[in-house]
Parts: sequence; structure tokens; C-alpha cells
Amino acid sequence: MRVTIHETRGWIRSARVLALLLAVASGSTTWAEETGKTEWVPGEPYPTALLDRYPCHDYELPCGNMAPPIVQQVEFSGELTGDSALGEKIATNLRWGNCLSCHKLPGHPEGGTIGPSLADYSTRSLPLSYTYQRIWDVRVFNPNAHMPVYGPNRILTPEDIGHVMAYLYVPHAENRIAAKQD
Amino acid sequence: MKTKIPKAALVAALVAGICPVTVFAAEVRHDFWPGRDKVIPHVSGDEQFSNTYRYWKDEMSLDAAVTAGLMSHEMNYKDFRWREKSLEGEMLLGEGQELFNTANEQGQSCASCHGADGKELEGTYARMPKYNERLKRVVVGPTQIRICAEERLGRKDWGEDTRPNTLLAFYLASLSDGEIIDVDVNAPGPVKDSYERGRDLFFKRVGHFHFACASCHTPPSSGNYLRGQRPTTFFGDAAQYPIYHFPYQLAGDNLSYIFTMQHQIRSCQQLSRMYQGREGSAPMTDIETFLRASANGYPISVPVSEYNMNTDYLERSQQVSSQ
Ligand code: HEC
Ligand code: HEC
Ligand code: HEC
Repeated sequence: MRVTIHETRGWIRSARVLALLLAVASGSTTWAEETGKTEWVPGEPYPTALLDRYPCHDYELPCGNMAPPIVQQVEFSGELTGDSALGEKIATNLRWGNCLSCHKLPGHPEGGTIGPSLADYSTRSLPLSYTYQRIWDVRVFNPNAHMPVYGPNRILTPEDIGHVMAYLYVPHAENRIAAKQD
Repeated sequence: MKTKIPKAALVAALVAGICPVTVFAAEVRHDFWPGRDKVIPHVSGDEQFSNTYRYWKDEMSLDAAVTAGLMSHEMNYKDFRWREKSLEGEMLLGEGQELFNTANEQGQSCASCHGADGKELEGTYARMPKYNERLKRVVVGPTQIRICAEERLGRKDWGEDTRPNTLLAFYLASLSDGEIIDVDVNAPGPVKDSYERGRDLFFKRVGHFHFACASCHTPPSSGNYLRGQRPTTFFGDAAQYPIYHFPYQLAGDNLSYIFTMQHQIRSCQQLSRMYQGREGSAPMTDIETFLRASANGYPISVPVSEYNMNTDYLERSQQVSSQ
């Protein structure tokens, strides 16, 4: 499924620039400084050499004293656009979004049980901003929810999340049937 | 493609409250996973976490729980490995024993100082990590083995993360099979300090995902399914380490599928995209002190394997995941 993305695109860009500006202003490390290292390619193993960018267990390295990523509140404006097939790929790939390891997903009953099932998410009419915030930085709703901070630590880009949301919001026939049987 | 956004527009957006991203005040910080305050250095501390200790605190309780039809996740996954010894693991003990007795060029071996087959080291693994007076630091089993090998036998390549060290650690732990773990972290001193630092590291949020070890290893996540894997609470598990971990190993491993506790910690750091510590380093040692003391009161069971579950368990887990 494809929808026009104009409004969202403009919004995505401003979101990224603003987040970057704020990160610089607040003094946290930016990735731009470290262009020498090979960046992570989603879907590939995460390069271990990059892991000192985040707080760590060490006593001597700077990452041992690094502040946690700042909590980011985001809003979703514009229409839901994105490619739901790509969203499914992102959500199920172990080395990308990997939502499946904690959630059951549309068409994927084999998912984990750490988070609530998202298999019938499209039937629940939840606001886009709620879902976007949940995925970008869950700490806004629940500081101790066991879910990766996808936005602040750049696990997923705003576009990636758009694709995943497109996938979650598409009504899936098999789920509607399953929901009726429950 | 790049677009410039005028700075003035951003400020205006911020003020008007319609901008897509705002950042919370700096004092809102979530450095630690909750639960540090409830931790005690004894396996029964699990009561404050999963409340399943009564099902697996000893062999009789475990039998009763299984007979009563409890499912594995209801027992915090503590039911599936420590009672049954691993045959494959058993075969590797011989290799460790042989290394222990093998003389260097000067005719010296571990056995020269610690008795043939390590007779005099029986039971010691139940009290590792220990403070080493001479080195003025707390050492885990593999570090003590490295130091003895390096300084006393001139073997420079038996570091913590090597095959001879791992096989020796496995063998030495088996000499304490059945022994009750007793790492003294109550008396003020370096071991207690190590325990407390290790506890804080275990609950500290780190890495790409911003998880703590405790994120997966405390409820509600422990006792649930993580894509077919079964994270459990941190109580008692150290009693089964080093463990035979076939078919899993880290890239580059040549350790006959044995995981020491140091190696397991690093494996979990890798799994959850955390910076991986050097095995035997101070922070890694502290995490192990914390995990070993969290098994205080539990009997060592070595050699067992990570995945020696019976088919009965598989059937039960099928029912769970289809719910
Ligand atoms: C490590 C486990 C984990 C992973 C990985 C994970 N989640 Fe979650 N998720 C949770 C938990 C736990 C909750 C419940 C949080 C709470 O209790 O507040 C949750 C809640 C949610 C919710 C809110 C559900 C509702 O009913 O309101 C959404 C939406 C969601 N997750 C989407 C995702 C997406 C999309 C991904 C992948 C990009 C993902 N999650 C990855 C654990 C996870
Ligand atoms: C020349 C004598 C000598 C040799 C050889 C030797 N050790 Fe040791 N070992 C010691 C001494 C002395 C200690 C006490 C701690 C220290 O000073 O490091 C010790 C401590 C230990 C401990 C801790 C015991 C406890 O009660 O806490 C272990 C385990 C150990 N050695 C294993 C080994 C292994 C495995 C080898 C062979 C690679 C080995 N040692 C070789 C002398 C030796
Ligand atoms: C993303 C979730 C996750 C995180 C974070 C995590 N672990 Fe694990 N851990 C697991 C899983 C899954 C297993 C294996 C369980 C199985 O047998 O399937 C495991 C196993 C273990 C074990 C072996 C005993 C057992 O429970 O089977 C220890 C000890 C352990 N982890 C310690 C740690 C430490 C220390 C950290 C922090 C450095 C950590 N873990 C972080 C998921 C995690």
C-alpha cells in the first residue's frame, strides 16, 4: 500500500533537524563526530565498535559515565503513509526493528509475549500520535516499559516507523476472523 | 536531498508547542531499572521478584511442582536443567582434568601445588569470586586460573577467554558439584563492594536499546517468551556455570561450547547490543560477584547443559505459545 507522503516528508525532515539541534545543544554525543567508523546497516549485525556511543558497563571509558538518552516527546502530524510490506520486514527482522521478539504481529502469531499482542492493532483505532510516540520513545508513557528506545538511539528512522505503522494499521483479514472467534 | 529550516521558524514552533519533537527536562533520568533496593545476596531473594522460589528451591519442591502440572514459565524456567547432568559435558571434563595434570617444560603442573586431579581445590568454586590478597583485587575463577598459569607455570596464553582456561574452569567447578554456594558479601570489604557495584551494573540501563540486564532478567519480562528464548530471574543460575551450551557459541569461539559465567555475561551483552566488556576485567568481575552471590544457598550443579530439556517441557511450551 502506498499513499502520498508530502506532508509527512516535510515533517520528518524538521523532526530530524530539530532532534539533532537539541542533541547538540544539550551536549550529548552526536554521531556526526564519528564519521570514521563503519555505520550500522539495518538488517546486518550491529558493529561492536560502535557500542561505546551509548552508556556502558565499563569503569574507564567515557561511556561508563554517559548520561542516558534524553526522553523525546514526538507528535505525528499529517497522514499515515508508508509501505506496509516493508513495515512487516522491518518489524520481523531480528537485526532491524525486531518487534516480533516481544509482540505477536499481524500474520505472525509466533511472536514473543513480553509486550501485548499487536496482531489486531488495526481494529483498535488508536491515534497515530500515540502509536508513533510508543515506538519512538516509550518512556513518555512508561519510563520502565521494556521496549527499545527506537527513536533517540536511532534504531529506526522516522521513515522506518512510518512503514511499520502502515503495516500495523492495515486491516488484516485473518486477524479480523481470529478476533471474531475469540 | 536537504532542506534548510530557518532557525526562527523552529523557535516559533517550539513556543507554539506544535513542533514534532520536544525534549523533557534534564532531571527526568531513568538510569536504572527498578528493583535494586529489593535485592538480597541469597537465592531466596527470588521471592521478592518472581515469587516462584518455592517451586524450585530444592529437588523435592521441583518434583512436587512438576507432578502438580506446573508449566515451565510458571516456575520461572528454573525447572529445565540443573537436575540432569549432561553427558556431552561430562566428556569434556576429562580434557580439563588432563590440562590440570599436564606438566610444563620444568615438570610443573597445576597438580604440583593443588594435588593430583585438583584434590585440594574441591569445594573452592563455591566460594569464588574471592579477594586475592596478593593482587589486591577480587578475582573470578578464570582470572585465578590465568594468574596461576601465567605466573607459576609460564603459560602466557591461558587467558580468561581461551580454551584451556575454560576447560579448567569447567573441571574445577565440577569438583564443587553439590557444594552449597557461599560467596560472603555481608562482611564489609572488597567482595561486598564488588557485589554492590555489580548489582548496580546489572540494573544500569545501557547500550543501543537502552536495556539493563535486569530488563530481561526480572518480571514481567522474565518468565515470558522472547522469541522462543526464556529469560529467567538472576537468582540461582550461577550454580550451573560453567555450562555446556551446545549448539551456541560466540563468533570466533573455540571453547567446545562451554560458557563460563564471564562468557555468558558477554554473550548477553552482545545479544542486547551493549558494549562488551573484557572477560576478567573489573566491571565484568563485579557482575559475576553479583550473580554468584545471588545463588548463595543453592547447590552447584556441574556439568549440566543449557538445553537438556525433556520433550515434556517442549509440549508444555507449545501450549503456552499458542495461547
Ligand atoms: C523488548 C521487548 C519489546 C520490543 C522489541 C518491542 N516492544 Fe513494543 N512493547 C513492549 C512492552 C513491554 C510494551 C508494553 C509497555 C507498557 O506496559 O507500557 C509494548 C507496547 C507497545 C505498543 C503499545 C501497545 C498498546 O496496546 O497500547 C506498541 C504500539 C508497540 N509496543 C509497538 C512496537 C513496535 C512497532 C516494535 C518494533 C519496532 C516494538 N513494539 C518492539 C515490548 C517490546
Ligand atoms: C607453584 C604453585 C602453584 C601452581 C603451579 C598453581 N597454583 Fe593455583 N594457587 C597457588 C597459590 C599460592 C594460590 C593462592 C592464591 C594466589 O596467590 O594467587 C593459588 C590459588 C588457586 C585457586 C584458588 C583457590 C582458592 O582456595 O581460592 C585456584 C582455583 C587455582 N589456584 C587453580 C590453579 C590452576 C588451574 C593451576 C594450573 C593452571 C594452578 N592453580 C597452578 C599456587 C599454584
Ligand atoms: C534482551 C534480553 C536480555 C538482556 C538485556 C540480558 N539477557 Fe541474559 N539472557 C537472556 C536470554 C534470552 C537468556 C537465555 C535463556 C534461554 O536459555 O533461552 C539469558 C541467559 C542469561 C544467563 C544464564 C542463565 C539463564 O538465565 O539462562 C545469565 C547469567 C545472564 N543471561 C546474565 C545477563 C547479564 C549479566 C546481562 C547484562 C549484561 C544480561 N543477561 C542481559 C536475555 C537477556
